[in-house]
Amino acid sequence: MTESNPWAAQWFKAQQQFVDAWTDMAKSGASNNPTGQSDLWAQSFDMWRKASGAQTQPDIQQALNKCMDMGKEYFTMAEQISKSLSQGKQPIEAINQWMEQLKQSLQQFSGMPGFDGRGVNDFMQQWFSPTQSWQQMASALTPMNQAAWQMPGMNTSAFNLGEMVDPLGRLLEAPGVGYFREPQEKQQKGIQLALEYHEANNAFNQAFLRVALESIQGFQARLLKLGTDEAPRSLRAIYDLWVEVSEEHYAEFAMSEEYQSLYGEMVNRLMIMKKHYNEITNDLLLAMNLPNTREVDTMQERLQQIRRENIAMKKELGEIRSMLGQLTPKSTARQSAPAVTQSAAEAKQSAPAARKKAVEPAKSKASSKPAPATPAKTAAKPAIASAPVKKAVAKKTVAKQKSAVTKASTGA
Amino acid sequence: MSNIPFRSDQVVEEIVQFNQNLSKGVKNLLEAEEISAGVTPREEVYAEDKLKLYRYQPSTGVVQNRVPTLIVYALVNRPYMTDIQENRSTIRGLLDSGQDVYLIDWGYPDRADKYLTLDDYINGYIDRCVDVMRKRHGVDKINILGICQGGVFSLCYSTLHQDKVKNLVTMVTPVDCKTPDNMLSHWVQKMDIDAIVDAMGNLPGEMLNWTFLNLKPFQLMGQKYVSMVDIISDEKNVKNFMRMEKWIFDSPDQAGEAFRQFIKDFYQQNKLVEGGLKIGEHSVELKDLKLPILNIFAEQDHLVPPASSKVLGKLVGTKDYTELSFPGGHIGIYVSGKAQATVTPAISEWLNKRS
Repeated sequence: MTESNPWAAQWFKAQQQFVDAWTDMAKSGASNNPTGQSDLWAQSFDMWRKASGAQTQPDIQQALNKCMDMGKEYFTMAEQISKSLSQGKQPIEAINQWMEQLKQSLQQFSGMPGFDGRGVNDFMQQWFSPTQSWQQMASALTPMNQAAWQMPGMNTSAFNLGEMVDPLGRLLEAPGVGYFREPQEKQQKGIQLALEYHEANNAFNQAFLRVALESIQGFQARLLKLGTDEAPRSLRAIYDLWVEVSEEHYAEFAMSEEYQSLYGEMVNRLMIMKKHYNEITNDLLLAMNLPNTREVDTMQERLQQIRRENIAMKKELGEIRSMLGQLTPKSTARQSAPAVTQSAAEAKQSAPAARKKAVEPAKSKASSKPAPATPAKTAAKPAIASAPVKKAVAKKTVAKQKSAVTKASTGA
Repeated sequence: MSNIPFRSDQVVEEIVQFNQNLSKGVKNLLEAEEISAGVTPREEVYAEDKLKLYRYQPSTGVVQNRVPTLIVYALVNRPYMTDIQENRSTIRGLLDSGQDVYLIDWGYPDRADKYLTLDDYINGYIDRCVDVMRKRHGVDKINILGICQGGVFSLCYSTLHQDKVKNLVTMVTPVDCKTPDNMLSHWVQKMDIDAIVDAMGNLPGEMLNWTFLNLKPFQLMGQKYVSMVDIISDEKNVKNFMRMEKWIFDSPDQAGEAFRQFIKDFYQQNKLVEGGLKIGEHSVELKDLKLPILNIFAEQDHLVPPASSKVLGKLVGTKDYTELSFPGGHIGIYVSGKAQATVTPAISEWLNKRS
């Protein structure tokens, strides 16, 4: 793999340079900071990642990407802290300085419409992985909505931003007129629903931003509270403590009424919008004389119901065959009424046993085909065919047995 | 605290070491073979729609329990978690201790399965698998081991079909879905499930993934990958890590109607506890459940808090109820070495005594 991929070779070379630079720094008592090397590391990796994407299994590529993303964030933290340390600061001051930088990087986004975590300091990206992954997922789930946003004349960014919303809102309230009144109204409603979703999404993201800022203060407070024995003794220990504190702040937020409402509102708004655009799509498909999801859904629902009935009938048929199979050829051959009565009584008595045997699956592979079905079938068929008078009575008997079976299976 | 005892050169050494491990790990990842799922030999004995019923090859030289055991796994993840690797396989452990193990693989539902209901799953698919096993083994009753959501299905099934179930084992099964520490439940309370199913048809697996990962985003989406760097310089660790990674992101879509009922009845209305649960035409009352039950829960379970499972003991009508508490999490209960040494043997011992 390495030989076949020149970018990989370049990246490994850059890795070596990076390691050498850090090692030199360690030897020289941390008088220099290898920021340039760190950037080289990230750049060469990005190039390698783009180039190697098609050559790696998707599972591996995904893990690799995550591993490298986290590596970058971890290096960013190391870089910031070691920079301060090399300037002669105490570790606690270095960490606090790093925290203040993180705080500043977040504060600039406070109140910014459309904020979803993009653009924040690399290290704090972790706080916004829920909002960013939500954004990606929501886009993937609403292709029609995305297409609508990208229609000529649609200024997507404007719809996200506060100043434009009110005039747009008034425009959307304008009544539809003429022959295309209904489609126009549906489009207007779609845009209105999209705005409502974006508003809910923005509220969710802003709440995350607030809690992320609180978590930074929480981390600083935690550091101050720690006793000497509990103090982090390595970069990894600092990182792990940061994860612990962040997770605590997040969990508190995630279990709050506020989160429940914001999240519920965001999901519901997205779904209402999606449903509406599904309807618009269905109308378009109908106009083009193409099958739409409404029709497919109807067929699927009917088909599922028919399948249920089919399975139930197969099961009953199996039970009937099994019960008929217990009737001896001798007794089934009799034509007289007393013989039928006797047969019915026998069948009634053997109902629970019959049920035990009637375990035929609806559709089974050759290896598990129920063996008793065949003899039961052959034994029952001639008896029914040769005794037309008895058939009606047998039907009655079966009905009684069926009733017993149903009671037993429902526990009634 | 004003004194943190580490120096600049320590930071440098640490980062150099981290980078070296990362380089080795990346090489190992690039050279990793395709990850296979499931390790124990098995045969398909029944199939219907996307469902497959597998029987695992029994261990040789072991006295076998004559009552076979059916594992009913959740719909929300893939069942190979129970057989993830040779030395960490719940299924292998059960076979080695004499159980005859079957497992339902639900497959990956698509739009054609949208109208599958809980009734179809429980009184349909599970019931037919149970019948296949009863017939194959010539027994009236089998044992059932239900896992997570599969445990909920198993409770419903066993209550409705007690004539076909000898013993029931539930593992990390949510019963009371409204305990105060249940984050998943907290999140869905204000969600309009009808709007979701009406808009989406089936619930996409990636939405489930998003939900599960965001229960602990810093650990599951960040710290895990930083810690991974420590171990991936060893090829074997890369394989094990990738198996878990594959499983975590392998979430099937959920059949719309079944999902609608599951979330509304269990998570929003908590009907297993509050009452009023119906599967198809049939009411499910846990107090009617009279067969032997072994209920296993994980003490650090972030998906199904222990209190959510433990309440089962108070709700069922059986006099033969046993609880087993495992000191670990929702996944560790299948894959950790500790679970292999304690949980699996305990299940077998409990089943053997009652079969």
